[in-house]
Amino acid sequence: MDLEQLRKTAAEVVAKDDVKYLIGWKKGTYGYRVSPVFIENEADTEDLIFSPLCTANLVTYLTLVEKPPLPRGQKPDTRKVALMVKGCDSRAVAQILVEKGIEREQIIVIGCPCPGVIDVNLLVAKYPEVAENTELKWSGEDFVLIRGGEEIPVKREEVLAEKCRLCRYPNPVVSDIMIGEPVKPWQTEEDTGVSELEGKNVAERWEYWEEQFARCIRCYSCRNVCPLCYCEDCILDRLNPTWINRAVNFSENTAFHIARAFHLAGRCVECGECERVCPVKIPLGRLNRKLAREVRDNYGFEPGLDPDGKPFQASYKPDDPEDFIL
Amino acid sequence: MSAMLLNKDKWPEFVGKLSGKVWVPKVEEGEAIRFGPLSGEESKLPEYCNTRVPPKEIVFPETETLYCFQADEHEMTAPEIDERKIIIGIRPCDARAMKIVEKLFRWDVDDPYYLKHRELVTLVGLACNAPGLNCFCTSVGGGPASTEGLDIIMFDLEDRYLLETITEKGEALLKEVEGLLEEAGQDVLAQKEKLIEAAENKISRSVDTEGIAEGLPGLWEDPLWKRVSASCLGCGTCTYLCPTCHCFDIQDETEGFEARRYRTWDSCMFEEYTRHASGHNPRPTRRERTRNRINHKYSYYVDKFDLIACVGCGRCINYCPVNIDIVEILRQVKEAL
Amino acid sequence: MSEDFEPNIVAFLCNWCSYAGADLAGTSRIHYPANIKVIRVMCSGRVNPLYVMNALQQGADGVLVSGCHPGDCHYMEGNYYARRRLGIFKDLLEFVGVDPRRFHMSWVSASEGHKWKEVVEKTVEDVRAAGPFEGFRRRQIDW
Repeated sequence: MDLEQLRKTAAEVVAKDDVKYLIGWKKGTYGYRVSPVFIENEADTEDLIFSPLCTANLVTYLTLVEKPPLPRGQKPDTRKVALMVKGCDSRAVAQILVEKGIEREQIIVIGCPCPGVIDVNLLVAKYPEVAENTELKWSGEDFVLIRGGEEIPVKREEVLAEKCRLCRYPNPVVSDIMIGEPVKPWQTEEDTGVSELEGKNVAERWEYWEEQFARCIRCYSCRNVCPLCYCEDCILDRLNPTWINRAVNFSENTAFHIARAFHLAGRCVECGECERVCPVKIPLGRLNRKLAREVRDNYGFEPGLDPDGKPFQASYKPDDPEDFIL
Repeated sequence: MSAMLLNKDKWPEFVGKLSGKVWVPKVEEGEAIRFGPLSGEESKLPEYCNTRVPPKEIVFPETETLYCFQADEHEMTAPEIDERKIIIGIRPCDARAMKIVEKLFRWDVDDPYYLKHRELVTLVGLACNAPGLNCFCTSVGGGPASTEGLDIIMFDLEDRYLLETITEKGEALLKEVEGLLEEAGQDVLAQKEKLIEAAENKISRSVDTEGIAEGLPGLWEDPLWKRVSASCLGCGTCTYLCPTCHCFDIQDETEGFEARRYRTWDSCMFEEYTRHASGHNPRPTRRERTRNRINHKYSYYVDKFDLIACVGCGRCINYCPVNIDIVEILRQVKEAL
Repeated sequence: MSEDFEPNIVAFLCNWCSYAGADLAGTSRIHYPANIKVIRVMCSGRVNPLYVMNALQQGADGVLVSGCHPGDCHYMEGNYYARRRLGIFKDLLEFVGVDPRRFHMSWVSASEGHKWKEVVEKTVEDVRAAGPFEGFRRRQIDW
């Protein structure tokens, strides 16, 4: 991608009077980190980057905005928000539009066709992180790591994130401005994580998830990072009724993860953020992708493609499968 | 204080002879995620820089029953805390954190649960030979071989460990395994000094804490808070993984006629942390919450106990999903002073 | 599995069809297993999957949800939503490792006293075969 073009476009967008800020990515403070950035004036657009390290899904910030009570007489800020999206992120935008969580006129979507991002854990395992900020770029099919003036070629299959191996929509499905040329969708791999578990029997699966869920510390980063977890009053924060107790034990953790996965059934756009941020490495994506697979195979539905469509769980077809009914 | 050597081949024998439950870092999903009880299969300590979840959870469990009660009776029963635990491989920063947090749990009213846990654990630390990328313990009063809070400190000398006792508890522990140890000579102690120096030199990040505690109150409305908290997601990763964060919430749980009151970790980064019953929230946005996190560690705690409530373990930097970096925040604070 | 295990099953029945169907079974003196604890809801579409989860967490060994036949919903389409929602929920439970025999759904109309008996018998039989569900109980640990 042409960064010059990105920065120029961003500067034009930010210069408009009716734009509050632009959400993009900038270099992080060390190593391979990239940090989301909120840009309010033209000069700061120089910080913007778009690279295989830009894993964070910025759509989260659209619904994460807090609305504290305003002082008397002050009007709410109704200016637009611009944001950069990759293919998977744009599906989250579409899904939120379907759910009428945001209004289309309130956002400016800058689409960035994405040839695939990396899994930072895989990259670190292969090329240990150093203190100085390191760049990674796309180069043909593969990546190239720029560190201390040296260019190290990195094979795509070695470090590509799992969600990207399964990605079918590398090009944004919703956008106002598109930066660069669309990329050609690649051959997706089989979702072995889900298939492997499907092949086990229920007792083995229970054992597997027991081990995973027991580890959860309930920091709720999976919930907070998810662009589609935006209920104003989340059941996890509610005390009356208490659906899920705050106690951290296997029972409550399992209930939490079942509830979280289920609330995303037919909504999850498989951006993989929940899995990426989990501090105790629970493979949460498998739960979501399993449900996405069921929804796709049995109901012929895929979320986040048509902004004018209907939500999966708030619609039905008379001939939905009912082989499970007694 | 004694300095003894333990050959690494004797490790299984060593941990087997100790009286008490031995906790060591456990590898899950290819990484040392947290401490857990020894299963008996380990022949050595795993390779790790530090565990993701700090060992604070051993003395300050994420969920702890305070007491149980029944609807038709007037009695409450508190759980008994009586298990002796020996934590082997705790890093000096985490042990130091326990010492810092203990001040709080002893202040005002003694917290019987925390102090009981604390009394029952013996901390056998492992000095860092290779500190992590985001370690900055030397800036906040610690170091790769700091002995604060520890009962014994171990040094990894490739094929053997050097064990130095710090407290009487540590002495007593080494008595139990006397047969396996040999006296360390002067050459080993010199080697240790070299290791410490090398480790200190490897720490690349630093914070200049001078004037921060006094200066923070003056930056209450500074625009920097808005800037550094803009990308915060409001999750609890930084606080839950912090070895010195100690906030908790008290909740009740009932089933039928039985109930219990328990406490769980809480995080100042959560929206409902300060929400009042009326619905009013004195920290309505993530700006105020981030400000509180930094202020609590670097200002309030210093005021109260003359200690910085941060040990520089770098976990909040390593695991923040959006690269909010406390070293960078402090640099900006310093700049704004 | 012990022979004398009596499963504890929570049944959510819609007010207009299944509850009336169960009522009919009762007034017609049809015998069916007493393991079912009925909770009446206005529509099967009102059954939040969290109800099912909470029932399992609080000691139920199995859960049954029953509503009107498709097309017969008192509220026109409530049971269609229930079918979609709970169908997916069943898939999720199964994927997490909950025995699929523990959660059932059925359509029983107000005139189907006999069908109600069959549904209950089948459910009880299934849950009995699956055994007591201890793994997920809330009050298992550290109290």
